[in-house]
Amino acid sequence: MSAPAAAPVLEARALERWYGPLPAVRGVDFALSRGEFLTVFGPNGAGKTTLLRMLCGAVRPTRGEVRVGGEPTHGAEDEGWRRRIGLLSHQTFLYPGLTAAENLDFYARLYGLRDRGTKVARSLESVGLLDRRDDRVRTFSRGMQQRLALARTLLHEPEVVLLDEPYTGLDPHAAALLNGVLEALRDGRRTVVLVTHNLSQGLELADRVAVQVGGRWVSDEPRGAVDAAGFERLYTERVAAAVGGRAA
Amino acid sequence: MRGEPGASYLAQVWAVARKDLLLEARSRERLVAMATFAVLVAVVFSFSIDPTAVRARSIAGAMIWVTVLFAGTLGLGRSFALEREADALTGLMVAPVERGALFLGKWLANVVIVGAVEAVIFPAYALFFGLAWPAGSLPALLAVVFCATAGFLALGTLFAGVAAHTRMGETLLPILLLPLLIPVVIFASSATQRLLVGRPVAEVASQLRMLAAFGLIFLFTCTALFGSVLEE
Repeated sequence: MSAPAAAPVLEARALERWYGPLPAVRGVDFALSRGEFLTVFGPNGAGKTTLLRMLCGAVRPTRGEVRVGGEPTHGAEDEGWRRRIGLLSHQTFLYPGLTAAENLDFYARLYGLRDRGTKVARSLESVGLLDRRDDRVRTFSRGMQQRLALARTLLHEPEVVLLDEPYTGLDPHAAALLNGVLEALRDGRRTVVLVTHNLSQGLELADRVAVQVGGRWVSDEPRGAVDAAGFERLYTERVAAAVGGRAA
Repeated sequence: MRGEPGASYLAQVWAVARKDLLLEARSRERLVAMATFAVLVAVVFSFSIDPTAVRARSIAGAMIWVTVLFAGTLGLGRSFALEREADALTGLMVAPVERGALFLGKWLANVVIVGAVEAVIFPAYALFFGLAWPAGSLPALLAVVFCATAGFLALGTLFAGVAAHTRMGETLLPILLLPLLIPVVIFASSATQRLLVGRPVAEVASQLRMLAAFGLIFLFTCTALFGSVLEE
């Protein structure tokens, strides 16, 4: 007799979100196992950010549910599931008036981390900002702020990492640095969901690829089944077909 | 992360309050704006009242609390601006923080900041209007100030959270807040007035009880409601 399969680390079941009469996300279903890296592509206004905000509990689904480690998140008595998730957005969630170390220390307190000083120093070192630990975030460049935001995201060692257009506003050098850190996330221990409209960066890291248009997933396939060279053409066709279908 | 115990409720309250106070200590933008406004109002009142026609002592209680209310509302508008600058509010919502703890942390920081402004307002009025509090009434006065401030800021922090989600937030805040604070202002003004003119402390016991009741009701209700306010 084979052992029962482990519950997916992150699951969306018939997930929907409506803002009044306008649908942002409609009927999204997926399950991700430990170590999987999913990239969700879609044009502006496809509802990718709303999907991610539902996954991390910042927005309540209108219908459907999110499960983390097999347990539904909405209405959960214990907020502990939130400690298993880290969110990196193009917004940094940092306080410009605090120093880099104070920002991380604040989040470490919220997550109830032990040995905060060591963890903050280690996180700053991992993104190359240890020597700027006592400088206020207001004095940082956009790339440095995003690296600090990445340190904030990973400070509590989440099992699920959600990335919302993390490359926005970064110059090529900063984007390459961020890419290196994201590459390190593919260690088989973390489950990652990246939403982006940047095809090359999104494809490079993914081992599963979905396309979201008008709130719906119009495609969901393993990275291996996707021909990188032809993906751009395919993506354009699928977006055009979905948008045309809605318009018809 | 597995094996980490998570922060206790009080630790979460303190983390949020500490962060807000640290930011205020660095920028002092709310303190300076509120204190300047309060002193200006006291100056205007002191020049506009004819001491031969009205005894300042008999209306000072109302003037003090109107000043506290407007100066406090001015600062409350900025309370959630800290969280909006880099969408830090989303970072707080995603973190495993009890919504009530988040509210109480913001409330506690507001109490300290408005308390510091009150420490300017009361001496300013004493200076401009030649007021003197009988020494025996000081503990009762402190109790009135604490209960009224706690109730005012409980409602204020909740409505500042509501206003933070709207485009017209800072305009909307006083419109939502001030009508609901009328009972607090009436009881606080009346109690302060009686203490100023040297009436026995026992005479303000009923006002103090009402202020304490309003403070507790507002604090419990707003702590419970804050989660719904944060949900989009």
